[in-house]
Amino acid sequence: MYKYLLCWRYLKTRYIALASVISVMLGVATMIVVNSVMAGFSDKMRDRLHGVLADVIVESRSLDGFYEVDEVLARIKDACGQEIDAMAATMETFGLMRWKVGPRDSITKQVQVIGVKPLERAKTGDFAEFLYTGQTSRDPKTGKMVDQRLSPPSFDVSEELKLNSSPAGAVLKEMPKGDNDVFEQELREQMAQQTPERGAIIGWAIGTYHLAGKETDEFLAPPGTKIGLVFPKAGNRPEASYDDYTVVGYFKSGMSEYDSQHVYIPLERLQQMRLLVDEQGRGAVNAIQIKVKPGVDLDALTQKLQTSLEHLRPMFFKVETWEKKQGALLSAVAIEQSILNMLLFFIIAVAGFGILAIFSMIVVEKTRDIGIMKALGASTSGVRGIFLGYGLLLGAVGSGVGLTLGLLFVAYINQIEEVLSKVLGHKVFDDTIYYFSEIPTLVSPWTVCWVVVGAMFIAAAASVWPAQRASKLHPVRALRFE
Amino acid sequence: MTAHLAAIGIKKAYQRGKIAVPVLQGVDLEVEHGELVAVVGASGSGKSTLLHVLGLLDGPDSGVVRLEGERIDNKPDRQRDAMRNRTFGFIFQFYHLLPELTALENVMMPQLIRHGVFAYMSKRKTIRREAAALLERVGMGHRMEHHPSELSGGEMQRAAIARALAGGPAIVLADEPTGNLDAGTGQTVLELLRDLNRERGLTMILVTHDHQIAQQTDRIVRLAEGRIEEWAPALA
Repeated sequence: MYKYLLCWRYLKTRYIALASVISVMLGVATMIVVNSVMAGFSDKMRDRLHGVLADVIVESRSLDGFYEVDEVLARIKDACGQEIDAMAATMETFGLMRWKVGPRDSITKQVQVIGVKPLERAKTGDFAEFLYTGQTSRDPKTGKMVDQRLSPPSFDVSEELKLNSSPAGAVLKEMPKGDNDVFEQELREQMAQQTPERGAIIGWAIGTYHLAGKETDEFLAPPGTKIGLVFPKAGNRPEASYDDYTVVGYFKSGMSEYDSQHVYIPLERLQQMRLLVDEQGRGAVNAIQIKVKPGVDLDALTQKLQTSLEHLRPMFFKVETWEKKQGALLSAVAIEQSILNMLLFFIIAVAGFGILAIFSMIVVEKTRDIGIMKALGASTSGVRGIFLGYGLLLGAVGSGVGLTLGLLFVAYINQIEEVLSKVLGHKVFDDTIYYFSEIPTLVSPWTVCWVVVGAMFIAAAASVWPAQRASKLHPVRALRFE
Repeated sequence: MTAHLAAIGIKKAYQRGKIAVPVLQGVDLEVEHGELVAVVGASGSGKSTLLHVLGLLDGPDSGVVRLEGERIDNKPDRQRDAMRNRTFGFIFQFYHLLPELTALENVMMPQLIRHGVFAYMSKRKTIRREAAALLERVGMGHRMEHHPSELSGGEMQRAAIARALAGGPAIVLADEPTGNLDAGTGQTVLELLRDLNRERGLTMILVTHDHQIAQQTDRIVRLAEGRIEEWAPALA
């Protein structure tokens, strides 16, 4: 019984020892915060990745794709029709995009050109959730600027957009109706030149840039801009195809890799321009996006599909899950997190040595008391127990307070960020880099558990040696210790 | 009748670097039941060492310690721990109270050491009451909740005496109990010990270098040059 009483009294009276657990506390709090934020980020990132990519993607190894779309779709349905929710055929190719900015300059960018049927594609993922018109309006509730959704997803160029964004349209707008048919006809032709009938949805990061201090982004390619796209034609000789489009919307997923590269155009048009329509009028595609029903094992499904398609056309198809397709990025994040964890755990290990040093001092300070306890009949293991228990108690207090602090910090991280930003005078968490309006967090109970248990273990382990020394003290020498 | 506590041919040397300094060189001592014995001698004569050997705080290099005729100095650690807790009560010159605990908790200490959590929980009222009664007996009833730093020397020694009795020992070993007190207080403490010796039939061995104090015991034993030199009936 005396062990617990003394542990408790030592805890309450030795403030120096409490100071030694501050490092344990900070270590635990930091680990919880860092892990939660990193888990939050990677969770959000996976979310977005998964939003852009369908669950499973069937690709042809050839850029020119295949014409037997219906057969392939039927084969996929045959193999795992029960587990599939929706499918969308797409054509992806690389290309160049060029458009005029201001009176003289023009911009050329390397892009990923993707031909889609927007409604079909929307069914296989969160594609539709990422489309915006480029217009903003002020939310009456929060007072913040909100981007307007492009809904339903479509490539149609509205009459209004045509009139508003071409010089010919501007004249046409001013002209009284039915006054001069020939002139109007001429203007309409010019307008069609200036704003092509075909719409394109371009990545947000291609079409805009951010100015510090501005609430909304500035447009490089505002809605209605005429863009020129160059992409490879099918065939044995490398040849380029050129085509014009009007910007009707923006793709903003929050993944800069996609937002700075993707350009969506109508699938049929891309097939025509790449000369990928055969005699029977079938257009070729080179990817099929598959949305799988919830709860299905993606890896097993992928394997089944791969085998099945291998029979259809050997060595031609590549079936991958969305995770595999982004494997490098996801595993890089995982490695980052584990290395950071290792480094942070060293902090707690350092704290362990602090405890060791302070404990050794306390044992020296308590030498006479140890002698007294032994004279009163305390056993060697009993004395050891006092100091081991004391170490564990300190670890528990340190990690307990650290746990509370860490969880509180995570819970109020955005408020803390706001205050810090105000104090420091610049934004600590720049949301334009990630497109996150706030810092994402995800507390994993298991991680928290491990951190706390690990910290307590280190504190207890650090007290083993001093406790051992205390218990080995000779009672007479301890009593005579001055 | 066998002696209550007997030391036979106790030898003990301390290692000072490479030289062994002999302290006890064959001490023979027998103490009867209920006897109050004073051990006197110059400082460094080995009085305290003898007391430590008798109370199993230290082992002799050679020689035997017998309790009621049974050899106890070679018992395993566990049993020696238990005997220090139950059979012997120690009183020290510098009181040696634990500073983190109140006077009452200090007195409860032998019982706290004896019992585990559950045993203590079931007996805690009795243990508390008995410790309080002991503090009352030594005249410390009004200082129970005070920490040692708030007590005077005499008060601390009285609390230490109560603690020595709390384990219900048969033998009390007192190492210079009055050595750190002024003459008046020292006299009171000695009278308290004397009374307890009589009223509880306790065997007491009292180490002192103060002849004034030694004169008031049943028997004086002089320790010089590591041997018992002289046996003198005190109150003759």
